[in-house]
Amino acid sequence: MEHQLPEEKVSYLKILKTAIFKENVIFRLVISLCPSIAVTNSVRNGFLLGIAVVFVQVMVNVTVAALRRFIHPRIRIPIFMLIISGWVTIVDMIMAAYARAAYKEIGLYIQIIVAFASILARAEMFASKNKVLPSFFDGLGSSLGFLGALVTISFFRELLGKGTLLGHTIVNAKPLLIMVMPTGGFLVVGLLMGFFNWIDMRFYGGKGAGGAGGH
Amino acid sequence: MTFKDIIKITLNLVILYTAAGLLMAAVYSKTSPIIYKKNIEEKKKALQEMMPEADDIVKLGDWYPHEKHAEYFEARKCGELKVKTVKDEVTGTTKEVRECVNPEVIGYIVQTFGKGYSSYINILFSVDTDFVIQKMNVLHHAETPGLGDEIELDWFKNQFKGKDLEHLKVDKTGTKKEYIQAITGATISSRAVAEDGIANGLRFLMKALKGEVEHGASTARGEG
Repeated sequence: MEHQLPEEKVSYLKILKTAIFKENVIFRLVISLCPSIAVTNSVRNGFLLGIAVVFVQVMVNVTVAALRRFIHPRIRIPIFMLIISGWVTIVDMIMAAYARAAYKEIGLYIQIIVAFASILARAEMFASKNKVLPSFFDGLGSSLGFLGALVTISFFRELLGKGTLLGHTIVNAKPLLIMVMPTGGFLVVGLLMGFFNWIDMRFYGGKGAGGAGGH
Repeated sequence: MTFKDIIKITLNLVILYTAAGLLMAAVYSKTSPIIYKKNIEEKKKALQEMMPEADDIVKLGDWYPHEKHAEYFEARKCGELKVKTVKDEVTGTTKEVRECVNPEVIGYIVQTFGKGYSSYINILFSVDTDFVIQKMNVLHHAETPGLGDEIELDWFKNQFKGKDLEHLKVDKTGTKKEYIQAITGATISSRAVAEDGIANGLRFLMKALKGEVEHGASTARGEG
């Protein structure tokens, strides 16, 4: 995956849009599928994890871009892992001490971010080759795309599985209980991926996404 | 790879990892005392919520349901509560000391674990001196979302109030209202809370108060 950005004029909006849609972490790049199934049994969970990822992804991308000249190419992966786990640990400790209420909500999610492929992938694919500002927008776009995907998946799973949305009862029944189980997660992710591929083929001639799973 | 490369890479790794280590150590030394203090405050608050009328909650000891560490407490109401300001002769600082005069035991608070469908459910409950359940709360669990996680809901938790050991049993038929009503599709989680968790905790408490268990090294096992 090569990013050829013209030296003189870099469109941050374009970077943002590319990262959200064309290179959507879950539906296009098909990475970080583990959290997309594990925590999307309610919209609330999906949203909170998404918020935690937005923060860590942006910080990691900026740090990697800023330090990219001091990282030897042969050991870039261990250094990226250090940066990711370092940020996660620092955010975790600071939130536990100073933002108690928020920590109770998303503390659990912050800790599992260390192992997300999507964060490492963006650091490797984009931030290690670009300047700080474009990397900031790429991190923001990629994590917003991740957030959007999680909310979309959890919307269907919570509505069909529990008959609720954000904890509010919509239908007073559990129409498809299987949806809150891991099985339902696979089904929803698969069907949505197929749906987005169909949109891509039908309206963009398969070019809008660079081909399904082409990475 | 040349010798020069090896040196370069090693230095690169050492410098970056040391820098990150120092940064994290700095953040840790700053935050850990605050986290420790806030954890204690929150625990105190959670205990007070179990028995709002208690003036003083005193730890009686530890116990180990399912080999996990749990604690149990005595809730007291003071005949008279004196707040004295004591001056430390050495450091010269003053601090408030609460003194409970003529304390009367009004109940007990027990932390317990129940073995659920996919996790150990951490529960806190309070009883009065007749061993009738006053309140209970689920502190932590990882039961199936949509099924077992309904143990957190108020309708399930509220039905424990007023139950004694005899009636801490789960009813699946929905007809015996004097027992705990099971959550549809989550009998294991319901049983884990009512029978494995709270009933066992209560049995342990009764034994412990009679002095039948050794303090600090007691392991309570399920009887049914």
